[in-house]
Amino acid sequence: MIEAGRSEKNYWRDLWRYRELFYFLAWRDILVRYKQTVIGIGWALVRPFLTMLVFTFIFGRVAKLPAPGSIPYPLLVFAALLPWQFFSTAMAEASNSLIGNANLISKVYFPRLIVPAGSVITSFVDFLITLGLMAGMMIWYGFLPDWRLLTLPLFVALAFGSSFGAGLWLCALNVRYRDLRHIVPFIVQFGLYVSPVGFSSNIVPEGLRLIYGCNPMVGVIDGFRWALLRGQSPLSVPVLIASMIVTSVLCLSGVWYFRRTEKTFADII
Amino acid sequence: MSDVVIRAENLGKKYRISHQHERQRHVTLRDLLADKLSSPKRWVESQIANGGAPHASKPARNTASKREDFWALKDVSFDVKQGEVLGVIGRNGAGKSTLLKILSRITEPTEGRARIRGRVASLLEVGTGFHPELTGRENIYLNGSILGMSRAEIRKKFDEIVAFAEIDQFLDTPVKRYSSGMYGRLAFSVAAHLEPEILIVDEVLAVGDVAFQRKCMDYMKKLARSGITILMVSHNLFAVKAMCRRVLLLSGGRRQYDGLPAEGIDIYERDSRLEADPWAVGVIGEDIDRWPIVISFMEYLDAEGRPRTVYDYGERMRVRIHYEVRRPIKYPNFYFAIRRSDNVACCSFSAARDGVTTPLLEESGVIELQTPPLRLVSDQYGSWAIVWDREFKNLYCGQIGPNFHVRDEILNSDFGVFHEPAEWNWRAKGAGNQVMLESSVSYGKE
Repeated sequence: MIEAGRSEKNYWRDLWRYRELFYFLAWRDILVRYKQTVIGIGWALVRPFLTMLVFTFIFGRVAKLPAPGSIPYPLLVFAALLPWQFFSTAMAEASNSLIGNANLISKVYFPRLIVPAGSVITSFVDFLITLGLMAGMMIWYGFLPDWRLLTLPLFVALAFGSSFGAGLWLCALNVRYRDLRHIVPFIVQFGLYVSPVGFSSNIVPEGLRLIYGCNPMVGVIDGFRWALLRGQSPLSVPVLIASMIVTSVLCLSGVWYFRRTEKTFADII
Repeated sequence: MSDVVIRAENLGKKYRISHQHERQRHVTLRDLLADKLSSPKRWVESQIANGGAPHASKPARNTASKREDFWALKDVSFDVKQGEVLGVIGRNGAGKSTLLKILSRITEPTEGRARIRGRVASLLEVGTGFHPELTGRENIYLNGSILGMSRAEIRKKFDEIVAFAEIDQFLDTPVKRYSSGMYGRLAFSVAAHLEPEILIVDEVLAVGDVAFQRKCMDYMKKLARSGITILMVSHNLFAVKAMCRRVLLLSGGRRQYDGLPAEGIDIYERDSRLEADPWAVGVIGEDIDRWPIVISFMEYLDAEGRPRTVYDYGERMRVRIHYEVRRPIKYPNFYFAIRRSDNVACCSFSAARDGVTTPLLEESGVIELQTPPLRLVSDQYGSWAIVWDREFKNLYCGQIGPNFHVRDEILNSDFGVFHEPAEWNWRAKGAGNQVMLESSVSYGKE
């Protein structure tokens, strides 16, 4: 029994019923992304690898920024690139996901939340592949992680949450205001420089650290470095907590806004 | 009542016209400038593209409203019992699709509510969610899951789907390389195997070749016999007559008739005729006050001069245009154009090109044209009546005319815009040298 007037209470049940659609949409996106490409899934490796080389060169060699402890600079950069790439592609893809699936939205019913969530999952697959590359590099440098590695899932979850939250906001806004299409690439580009990707967050002045932590990616990146690089890159707990709070606010408000505007998607997309 | 599976109570859906207004401005800001400077012909087209033939009967469309509410659907109530096949008919813009969208939960009603009991499968478009890069096999899974099937179900039904669609050789070919017929067959086939309790379909029977259409019809009938409730929208009144035991006729977003198909279709056809009366369904462009000539009335007649809005394929159509001259105009060029319901420009007739014009037109009057036998396929058509100057440079007036139907049991838009008879030559092989046995079998009604 369905009440078309107020579908709120059935929503979360529907979401569960349509759980296979998550899988299929993500599967479709991955399949499509690498169809008719020569090196296929290899692109998931090439992109971060080249970025890492460039960053190591610019920040490590040219700007001569310090790396904490005995960490090789490429590892320092790559440990940050992992979550950053995940975050930026997930956010960018999620923000375009509704519009990219406009024909679905206007012709079929399913909980719309699946669409941006599916694109975050797609990016997560890329992330896992890059994680393999990270493992390879750590072996190459003979820099193996210790027990702190076990905390990594926490930071992965944090990255997941922040990209999902940001993606929800952006995609819901994007349906009505197509300006977002121009703003998102800018956010991604800008974010790369305000997040400690190419450098260690140590070089940020002490007094500004907490404010800096309001960028949720700061906590995530610091956490990744701490977990992967034997704790030689310091992790400040207040910064981590700030990032966690910002992430939860982003996520919850994202879901709230998405749910609020969702009903109108089919009409205005 | 326990066997009522759909109960709609006072369903209403309101849209704000201003959205369309904004979008239009957004899209054409630059075009607008360009159009103002160049030929009015293009300007006319851009005006019509934004609100022309396919919406020709939406009320309030041309009120130039800044922020006006528009009820696509209002106070629609009905019950559907289990196993009923209900046909929803009505002109374009009558609210049929809006109703189906509400019932399939794509959009929410502004007021009222609907209770639906059972698993709903809705098919508002053939091949929703198909991805051109993926293979037939992959798309079956994708499309199936989008329509609400579980993976296990799809796997179970997979062979049936493939067999029904007749595409087994092409299962691993990307669907972008499929012919549109194959594409449509596959899409329908997936949807048909959903095993819903309630099936909502919008104009999807017009898929594939005639043989496949018949197969789909038979399949739908089989579904209906097995106790599934079906709600279908179709412009194909023959299909409605054949399938449904009940029709719901919508008009201007309201329920006009609910009952026996024969009667509903009758009312619908009679109404399409009446629609011709308030002729100015819309105008092309603005500044109607400055037009030197206006078309006050337009009539569709058959060859014998009786009013008609439904023509059979191959019939000749007479169009009588009544006009009022406000200021004398030089070399008027009366122009009548036919647009299909999906806004495809089909053909046009121009008086001046046919040598009918006059150096100075000063008095109001009537001009009539008779078309050659209409070879248009079965569909709904809109019309424009325009008065140009001889060179198609100045637009004296342009109005959107009434709609009409062309019907044929077989020929639909899959056959093209027109279906023309050809001359055929028939030769038998064998008998040594090739001899023409029977030549030029021509047919035609005139």
